[in-house]
Amino acid sequence: MKRIPAIVLLAVVCLLLLYGFLAFTQLSVASAMSDLIHGSLGGSSQISQTFQHATPLLVAAVAVFVALRAGLFNIGVEGQFVIGALATGFIGTKLSGGLGMTVAIFGGAAMGALWSFPAGWIKAYKGGHEVITTIMLNSVAGYIAVGLASGPIKQAGQESPQTAKILATMPSIPMGGLSISWATLIAFFLPLLAGFWFSRSVKGFETDATGANIHAARQAGINTKRVIVRTMVVSGAIAGLAGALQVVAYSHRFYPDISSGTGFDALGVALLAGSYSWVLIPAAFAFGMLYQASPLLQIDGLPKGIVDILLAIMIIVGAAIRFRRLKALG
Amino acid sequence: MSTKPTVAMRGISKSFGSIRALNEVDFEAWRGEIQAIVGENGAGKTTLMNILYGVISPDQGSVLIDDKPVHFHSSSAAVANGIGMVSQHYGIIPGLTCLQNLILGSEPGFWLQSDQLQDRAEDLSSKMGFQFQWQDNAEKLSPAMAQKLEILKLLWKNSKVMILDEPTALLSPADGDALFTSLKDLANEGATIILVTHKISEVLDHCQHVTVLRGGQKIHAGETAGLTQSSLIQWIVGESLSEKPTKDCQDDKSEVLLQLNGIKVRRDRGDFALDGVDFTVRSGEVVGIAGVDGNGQKELLEAIAGLRPIEAGSLEIFGRSGMNYPTADRLQNGLRIIAEDRLKEAIIEQWNLEQNFLLGFSQMPDLNSRGWINRKVAKHEAESAAHKFSTQYANLNQTLGSLSGGNQQRFVNGRAFALNPKLVLAFQPARGLDFKATAQVYEQFRTLAKQSKASVLVISYDLDELLENCDRVVVAFDRQLILPPKEDELNRSALGKLMVSGLK
Repeated sequence: MKRIPAIVLLAVVCLLLLYGFLAFTQLSVASAMSDLIHGSLGGSSQISQTFQHATPLLVAAVAVFVALRAGLFNIGVEGQFVIGALATGFIGTKLSGGLGMTVAIFGGAAMGALWSFPAGWIKAYKGGHEVITTIMLNSVAGYIAVGLASGPIKQAGQESPQTAKILATMPSIPMGGLSISWATLIAFFLPLLAGFWFSRSVKGFETDATGANIHAARQAGINTKRVIVRTMVVSGAIAGLAGALQVVAYSHRFYPDISSGTGFDALGVALLAGSYSWVLIPAAFAFGMLYQASPLLQIDGLPKGIVDILLAIMIIVGAAIRFRRLKALG
Repeated sequence: MSTKPTVAMRGISKSFGSIRALNEVDFEAWRGEIQAIVGENGAGKTTLMNILYGVISPDQGSVLIDDKPVHFHSSSAAVANGIGMVSQHYGIIPGLTCLQNLILGSEPGFWLQSDQLQDRAEDLSSKMGFQFQWQDNAEKLSPAMAQKLEILKLLWKNSKVMILDEPTALLSPADGDALFTSLKDLANEGATIILVTHKISEVLDHCQHVTVLRGGQKIHAGETAGLTQSSLIQWIVGESLSEKPTKDCQDDKSEVLLQLNGIKVRRDRGDFALDGVDFTVRSGEVVGIAGVDGNGQKELLEAIAGLRPIEAGSLEIFGRSGMNYPTADRLQNGLRIIAEDRLKEAIIEQWNLEQNFLLGFSQMPDLNSRGWINRKVAKHEAESAAHKFSTQYANLNQTLGSLSGGNQQRFVNGRAFALNPKLVLAFQPARGLDFKATAQVYEQFRTLAKQSKASVLVISYDLDELLENCDRVVVAFDRQLILPPKEDELNRSALGKLMVSGLK
């Protein structure tokens, strides 16, 4: 519909801004671009790394996306990610083998769901805004992570707060020199699954209706309170899954700053995607490319801040485009 | 009548894409008069007024105010020139007080001096015979009160030309008469009042001039003196309306679909909206609920639908107690709701017709096959819902918000007939519809009641509409439903008295 040209316009604006910023650095646009491409896609190691950045981000972005469809702004993905990773990291040190890993992943998702449940319940039955409650739960999650990782579940004989290495890790898909985890395949599959679910399933329809017009949804016999709780829990489970995949596929253990802001970046990815779930994939991949290439760009004189500024501008403009439509609805 | 018109629009044409909304239309309005614009849905009334108000600019033609050509590129330019408009969708912002809403957009200075403002607000409202609690949250205003506040907003902005789009749609007859008295006073003081309406009686009783539009063209313009109802209808519709079907007597032995025994229901703000209401609806009848806005009609509908808790008494619907009977199940068993506030409660504007159709039907076995939506059935049913009252649309993937208000209402009404309805709760189902479409809706209600042994409960503020179309009419008054004596069930003066006094 109207969104595709808007995204194109956004891309053009960002490129122009990039030109502007680059004028202040020693880098030419061409070499910055080549750094970006080479840094992120220049070899099998770089490509693998880009996918490694994009994978948990994409899963976390699906979590944000699902909540947004019900009109919920789940700022708590960060905390749910951390709690999910914590649970997976802990279980992973106890159970071995494929079955143990599966249990650890599901445990992570379940803990993420548990962590988001209060926000959904308070929103539905007590009217407390989910942005406030999830921000608070993020802080609590952070303290729990530090507390447990530096004490009860800390690896014996270690200085830094972290768990022991998990017993079973997720393997890579055999693909020549590339090292791409099976987690990436799961991540790429999720947005498509979400898109299909929203367009075809009755529960997806009811979630959409609740997000689009809660009064009309109520009149249509939809139990909007239940939809809010359910959606928040599903969103939290997906966020927990993102944390779980980070542990089993990449970090192989839990430590408190395991997310490095993935849950917040996921908000940006989801806002860029708007209402099209498949757009989450290129958006998350683009974020992954920028992360992966940023060390090289820094070495060549492009301050790290500029990459962040660029991301921020993309998110703000993307959000503006998205909420311009919502505004008209009051 | 002064010789020169205050407002003159000459040769106005406007197209939207391939649709020609207005074709060289002339329109004039004089100071000191109430003039009407009438026409069917989509005749171009609203477009013409939006051009005068500067919301859209015409492709062709000129607008003259006091003989001077003007080009308004925005409504604020029109407001600066003394033109004001109240649209069908009220611009009241919930959360602000009534006073804040009144001055919104025309605050007198940087600092707001609440006392002075309130004094002037009091002056204006008492002049119009309205009463407001200025410091109350505007959220709680009934649609009728919101309409009154909108009119005061025009006065606040010193509008000399006032455009009113169906101002009495939500008012009781008494409130409507009071409004026209005030409008006449305003006209006598030199205002130019333009009334967009569907009600012929308003045109003949209260307006001096009338302009009739049909299909984007001016069909007639002239004084109302000497006009008859039938000639006006003929101009508007382009044909004469068929006779209404005769009413049947109700059989007391038919199945009871809805039974209320002494129910008590609270309003949002906590006081009782209904206090001990007894009421029975049998299959096969079309029952009207008349009453001034705010007498518990909304709460009654919500209680029947299971959307609002019942504090005391009992409700039985489809032979089952209302306790632990969720709305979704009632809908599945044949309850249909035509909500009062179309944009807020009945539709999702940014969704397409097919998705909007599904609202209320998502749990129906026909459409829900093991948790997945049956798209084929949905498409088919959405199409028949649209065709039921000839909704004008291009395709099912079009957003419902892109249709005109009248067409949205047609679609919402059509949706209520889908998948074997048993009890239709219709709140102002004719809102925004011209009388041809209104007649059609009620005809279908009657057919439904007669052929499918369903029943229809219509809530409307327009007593005449109910009298013409229902088997019987009851009155909502002061937290009660008052059943008139059998012989007065369709007696206008008896019911009118009940509406304002509750006295039989």
